[in-house]
Amino acid sequence: MIQCTLARMGLSLFNSVYWAATALVEVVVFCFALRRRLFARLPFFTLYLGLVIADEAVLWSTYRLIGIRSRISFDVYWTSQALLVLSRAVVVYEICRALLLPFAGIWKLCRPLLVGLGLILVVSAAATARQTVHPISATTLMADRGLEITVAGVLLFGLIFCRYYGIEIPRYLAWIALGLGFYSAIQVANNTFLGNWLTHQHILIWEALRRASFNIATLFWLIALWKPLPATPLAPVLLPRGEYEILAPQVSGRLRELNARLLEIWK
Amino acid sequence: MIALVSVLVGVAIVGSLVWLLFGSQRIASAPPIGDLQIEKVLPVNCRHFPQISQLLSQEDTQFMRKRAPHHVVNKWRAERRGILRQYLSGLRQDFTHLQRLARLIAALSPEVRKRQEWEWVWLALQFHFSYRMAALKLALGSFSPEALAGLTEMIAGLTSELENRMALIAEHSPSRLRTDPGS
Repeated sequence: MIQCTLARMGLSLFNSVYWAATALVEVVVFCFALRRRLFARLPFFTLYLGLVIADEAVLWSTYRLIGIRSRISFDVYWTSQALLVLSRAVVVYEICRALLLPFAGIWKLCRPLLVGLGLILVVSAAATARQTVHPISATTLMADRGLEITVAGVLLFGLIFCRYYGIEIPRYLAWIALGLGFYSAIQVANNTFLGNWLTHQHILIWEALRRASFNIATLFWLIALWKPLPATPLAPVLLPRGEYEILAPQVSGRLRELNARLLEIWK
Repeated sequence: MIALVSVLVGVAIVGSLVWLLFGSQRIASAPPIGDLQIEKVLPVNCRHFPQISQLLSQEDTQFMRKRAPHHVVNKWRAERRGILRQYLSGLRQDFTHLQRLARLIAALSPEVRKRQEWEWVWLALQFHFSYRMAALKLALGSFSPEALAGLTEMIAGLTSELENRMALIAEHSPSRLRTDPGS
């Protein structure tokens, strides 16, 4: 009976068991997120975890009803992927915001750069996908790659800001960010590599890599949520307005002088 | 080729992420803002300049030239160069602390200027390049003690100016910037 259903869906027994195990881990991670009240700190990430489970359910139902090889399944799969990758982009922005928002000046400086970078990468992804002369699946892969580059790029940029200003990243946020970035990085490589050889066999490898990298990302999120979340740190008390205007030129002038003197020494 | 490039891109992104998320600070003495201590931010190496100045005095050089054999003078010069190298490295550490302070000021300010922040990035790049060249010159033995004195004075001057300001910063953010009771 089960074999018959799986055959109609176009899935092997191994694939089905693997899928069920993946979904189970995703549910566990989502339960941990709810238990740790993560929605109070990262509402979009919590929502994203819920979306991932909903996506598994929708895909499973679609494959069960009309089989994995139908055009409708293809459309459902890629629509859900687009929705998930856009959600990941929002989550990455949410993580950058959670890290930098307490530092008002830095956040005001960083936010337009993050949004600008995101827009540039999305536009370039769209342009690359339009230029692709391969069949629709290759075009979709290129668009997907572009969006994953956007996710990884925005995350890296935000983290560079944190690093530069010495802003501490809580352990749980680091693991969540690593999961998102890891999955996007593997997808960028996967889509670039396999987008050029689109045979049925390569598609299977592509899907296996995608699944495996997502499983690893899910494990990172489980690590992030395994222990209770640390207490929310108090927001730093900022300097009075105008203090920066007094201090910055002083430091700047001295650093400039220092450079000029050092330049004299070695010239 | 595409395979290699795609794998390299993936590895580079993951490697950068791991480094940015879990890697230790580049400079051990530049802790995250949460652990910052005043003593660790203010330049300290430039305060040893009187001793270094003694080491560099022309009288010593003349004395050694007159009294000591040639091989001893050479050994003495090499040792002196080694100490200067260490001192130059200490000055770089001071510069890094000042840079850290500049970032702290920016992080704790409700408004920052984009142009100012980029200027600091640019100045840091310039400094590190100049430092490398100065270290090279020192290694080649053509480094003037007067230039080193100027450099030290400058860092020391900036330190005293900033010390006053640090008190204000500590006052506004005692939980984030504190003095070390043990020191």
